[in-house]
Amino acid sequence: MDDRLALRARSRRETAQGTPAPPRRLARGLAWGTAALAATVLASLLFGAGEVGPGRALAVLAGVGDDDARFAVLQLRVPRTVVAVAVGTALGVAGAVLQTAARNPLAEPGLLGVSAGASFAVVLVIASGAGAAALGPWVAVLGAGAGCLLALGAARLRGTGDDPVRLVLAGAALSALLGAATSIVLLLDQRTADEVRFWTVGSVAGRDLGTLSQVGPVLAAGLAIALLAARPLSALALGDTVAQGLGHRPARARGLAMAAVALLVGGSVAAAGPIAFVGLVVPFLARALVGPDLRRVLAVAVLLGPAVVLAADVASRLLVRPYEMPLGVVTALIGAPVLVAVVRSTRMPSL
Amino acid sequence: MTAAAARPAPPRPAAPPAPPGTWRLAHRDRSLLVDRRAATAAAVLAVLVAATVAVGLALGTASVPLNRTLPAAFGVGEARDVLLVQQLRLPRIAAGLAVGAALGVSGVLLQTLARNRLATPDTVGLNDGATAFATASVVAVSTSITPSAFALVGSATAAALALGLAGGAGRRGYRFLVVGLGVGAALGAVTQLMLARAPIDEANQAFPWSVGSLNSRSATSVTVLAVGLAVALPVAVVLGRRLRLLRLADAVVTGLGSRVARVRLAVIGTAVVTAGLAVATAGPLGLVALLAPEIARKAAGPRVVPVVGAALAGALVVLLADLLGRTVAAPLELPAGLVTAVVGGPYLLWLLLTTRTRRMP
Repeated sequence: MDDRLALRARSRRETAQGTPAPPRRLARGLAWGTAALAATVLASLLFGAGEVGPGRALAVLAGVGDDDARFAVLQLRVPRTVVAVAVGTALGVAGAVLQTAARNPLAEPGLLGVSAGASFAVVLVIASGAGAAALGPWVAVLGAGAGCLLALGAARLRGTGDDPVRLVLAGAALSALLGAATSIVLLLDQRTADEVRFWTVGSVAGRDLGTLSQVGPVLAAGLAIALLAARPLSALALGDTVAQGLGHRPARARGLAMAAVALLVGGSVAAAGPIAFVGLVVPFLARALVGPDLRRVLAVAVLLGPAVVLAADVASRLLVRPYEMPLGVVTALIGAPVLVAVVRSTRMPSL
Repeated sequence: MTAAAARPAPPRPAAPPAPPGTWRLAHRDRSLLVDRRAATAAAVLAVLVAATVAVGLALGTASVPLNRTLPAAFGVGEARDVLLVQQLRLPRIAAGLAVGAALGVSGVLLQTLARNRLATPDTVGLNDGATAFATASVVAVSTSITPSAFALVGSATAAALALGLAGGAGRRGYRFLVVGLGVGAALGAVTQLMLARAPIDEANQAFPWSVGSLNSRSATSVTVLAVGLAVALPVAVVLGRRLRLLRLADAVVTGLGSRVARVRLAVIGTAVVTAGLAVATAGPLGLVALLAPEIARKAAGPRVVPVVGAALAGALVVLLADLLGRTVAAPLELPAGLVTAVVGGPYLLWLLLTTRTRRMP
């Protein structure tokens, strides 16, 4: 006996309401996700802020094309796209896991201060004398872990399902506090300010594959733990007592979720800086496509996360041509309406 | 003469005794009840503000002895003292007073309106709106319209968006708060967008609005703020009596004879004007609008909505933060907005995490 029973009951209910049964919904969600990912990857390779337009980029992909275009596409856009895919996957999965663990549809690594924790940790370590180049992703992971502990600790303190909005406000307060502390450290220490600008504004521009080779293992570990925790976590959606009755250990499941989120968010901050709202938008879209079960949400989030980040990145190149703007700004513009939509939905879904 | 004129006026019925804890100020047939604790609290806060002003005038990278400060503020004394005190520090401290008072009033009004003490101009996006539009006035359009006007439009836009999207302030105000958070995030992103597009000089000119600081206020915006305060503060004080009613359910308020919708509109209007003008002067000073009403409420007790107390407490918080920022890491100067954020942040967190049942302001 496990949560299959509950799932079956839910699927029956949904079929009765006219929505397709889960397998078909899942297939449909995966199809949409794959299509979105393919389209955004292509767009990311074709469009840029510079002079190499879609036509010349397409020629490069076809194997012909001039040297300038070849350089722009192969040396600049391909690494950038790869980093965006990695970061997007990590943030989408982290958002889905964190929302299920906190049982709160508004829980998002950026909003809850997890990313701010990672940034602050990096800034502190560099200010105390370490070089930015020598710094592995572990400092960011530790910072994210601390931020995660605070966020989920707050959720536990308040009692789960009590007031989803409260947690977000606490997260906003934590983010503001850490942001101000970061600014003060940067004001006091010019050298750190120069080295660290990279980490305070989220962007995937100019990242090479070397960054990814450092961060990749961290992200892979986080992803593995998230998949491992998916089953007990989706049982937790039925409440701690039921989950216990089904043979899961709630504390252990939450611990795993926290480790996964810390690794994924810390790794992505180390690679691209803090990028807010991705962890809110992706699970929101995924739930709309395939329903609330975490395992199905994760399957779709792996596709949708990179698609959302890539779409935002392409927008960040095109909006202020010939300049570019920080990716985090675009994701905030996309994410804020989603936040409003979640809050406005008449019945706040409790996860 | 007629008999009516000769008849002595009927004796006025003796006034009922003032309720406990209040003073009655009476003049002819009008009288006003003043809450004793609130009045005392306001007096104490005023004394504290005056003391902070004196210390702020005296201290700095070059200190002036306290006994020479006051004459120097009026232009009497050594030329060096007069330059330091009257020319350099006095305008800054006057701006701090006005900004703090405006933020305090704005905070206490919004909190009472939303029936939630977390609702402040920072959390519901008014500050972000004002910042975005003030930045636009410098970066995007090359007209001579002052940033103050734009900031007003910005905070009004943010308030309209947040209230409209949330469908009113609501019973507990939480939906309003998170919608405001979203509106604020979007407007903040718009600010970043404009700064990214702008040439570096104009971006630098707009930078003060991204961290709150008293360092780069313009004289015009301070004047506009002073005028705005002169209008808004009396309005807020008069509204304060009605605000007490807003803490009750709408049906009760209507039954007591107040027009809820009109009071709400006036409250929002006043809060928008004060927040917008304050941001145009000093940028978004983090969490002042949360801390100031909290201090005032602690001091004034639960019976009143302490509008005057909040204004004084706001001035106190801003002046202290500015003083700290100027002196702690001298000669480097920390913006006052960062100081208030670092001091106020932990308090806000503690507030969110510890209180189980919410008592509305």
